Amino acid sequence: MDSSRDDYVIAIRSAFLQKSNKQRFSLIGLIIFSIIFIILGRVNFPPIEYIKISIKEIVFRSSFIVSAPENFIKEKNKNIRSHFSLYKEHKNTKAKLEELKSKILVNEFTINENVRLKKIINDYLVESDKIVAKVLIDKNSPFLRSLVVNKGSKDSVKLGMAVLDKAYLVGKVVEVNYVTSRVLLLSDLNSKIPVTIEPAGIQSILSGTGKEKGVIQYLKENYNIEDQSTVYTSGAGGLFKAGIPIGKINLSKLINKKKVLDFFSDFSQLRFVQIASYEQENVLKADREAKIRAKKDEKIKAKEEAEEEARIKVEEEALIKVEEEARIKVEEEARIKVEEEVIFKKLKEKYKWKCKKTTFNRLYIEGTPEFKTCIMNKGPKKQKEKKN
Amino acid sequence: MIKFEKISLVGTIIKYFPILLLLASVLNEFDFNYMGFKYFSFNFPFILIFYWSLKKSGSLGYGLIFIAGLFNDVVVGLPMGVSSLIYLLICGFAAYLRNITLRPNLIKDWFFFLFTISLLNSLNYILLTLFFSFKISYEESLFNLFFTFVFYIIFAYIFDIYQKIIMGKLND
Repeated sequence: MDSSRDDYVIAIRSAFLQKSNKQRFSLIGLIIFSIIFIILGRVNFPPIEYIKISIKEIVFRSSFIVSAPENFIKEKNKNIRSHFSLYKEHKNTKAKLEELKSKILVNEFTINENVRLKKIINDYLVESDKIVAKVLIDKNSPFLRSLVVNKGSKDSVKLGMAVLDKAYLVGKVVEVNYVTSRVLLLSDLNSKIPVTIEPAGIQSILSGTGKEKGVIQYLKENYNIEDQSTVYTSGAGGLFKAGIPIGKINLSKLINKKKVLDFFSDFSQLRFVQIASYEQENVLKADREAKIRAKKDEKIKAKEEAEEEARIKVEEEALIKVEEEARIKVEEEARIKVEEEVIFKKLKEKYKWKCKKTTFNRLYIEGTPEFKTCIMNKGPKKQKEKKN
Repeated sequence: MIKFEKISLVGTIIKYFPILLLLASVLNEFDFNYMGFKYFSFNFPFILIFYWSLKKSGSLGYGLIFIAGLFNDVVVGLPMGVSSLIYLLICGFAAYLRNITLRPNLIKDWFFFLFTISLLNSLNYILLTLFFSFKISYEESLFNLFFTFVFYIIFAYIFDIYQKIIMGKLND
């Protein structure tokens, strides 16, 4: 019995502790490392956060590339299916279009009235600039329903921003990296959104189920909800604006005795999504004005800087010109002096006897300026006339 | 010379095929979950790691398995390190089975695999729900476990054939 127990202990020790010659790391070492990684990640240890961000940036891009062939097949499959159902869809769309045209006219009046009333109670929220993002990873995991999109903090994406497919809400941003973000879909078990069920106007919480459906939570049974009631965001909590359509109640199904919601958007077909945040109109307006003002200030500053640069350049050029002229003048004077010297030397040989002071005349001592003038004048005649 | 280099490249790909497949499967949606069958999902990396750690331990490096786990966490959105820990524990269980087995038997391996993934899925569930406050569908986890178990035998046959035909030729 003892020897058999020893065998198991040896087998366990060999499996976890011994490092075979083909393995660079021991198993137990890496397991301990993983546990440390998990614990440090849980307490948000900064170096681990940096490692996480770097790995995420690399993996999201790699995953997008590796998934390309499969995504291509999926896309083609979808296209073929849509071609087969084209005629039927066209007929349905045509009928719906007619119906919608008439509804739009009625809705327009209601919308305007609603906006006017909301402005009175200072509850009119408008959308900030929408960011269109491409879905990089759509891992339809059985545990977590999330997407990775190709826009991050670089493109002003912030935590908690709403993610829309056309006009329908599909999720919210739960993780922001530099060039990518993770979106938690409404169908995820961890997603909880405050909603209003219309036309009854019942307030509730929408939770994901981990599948394609959502469920209405925390609602007493005595509330009467009609089948095909539309579910909108309620705006409670201030995260999303009120009235973003999400889906329709389907009373034919119940999940854990809870009412089921069919989402308007098909989360498995998302290729591009819009990321938006909602703010009060005056706040957004002030924000936009501040941005425009900042841009204008920047432009004025840039213009002033350019003018200053141009002025300095002109001044420098003028200075260079003056210096150049002075240099040319000095050179010219030197040249004239040299020429004079050459002429003086030539004339000196010829007229030296006419100008040089001797015992018998009162002329000029050699080397004096007067002697030079005399030589240049080819004799003392001119100097004497001047003197007289 | 050119021919020799070509053979060497193909040989390298064949040799590292399991780890390449593991990395591709964690980076890609390789588990057919996107097909949208109700409750259908299975964990391909579990099968791959268990089989190759059991049959040919040198074909998957522990370091690379650890990295593959980190990649999986990033792609799925789990806390970093969880998948690495589970994958390495699978390696440990497979190594233990290899050490105590004198005469390998596929059915015994298969049931030991069920025991391993049941234990490790429970650990995964406990870690995510208690430690990280994640909400996970117990039902989905059970179905995932069941299909992973069922698919093991199919993939084991395929990998056996691969080992015998392709890797065998390479060894010749």
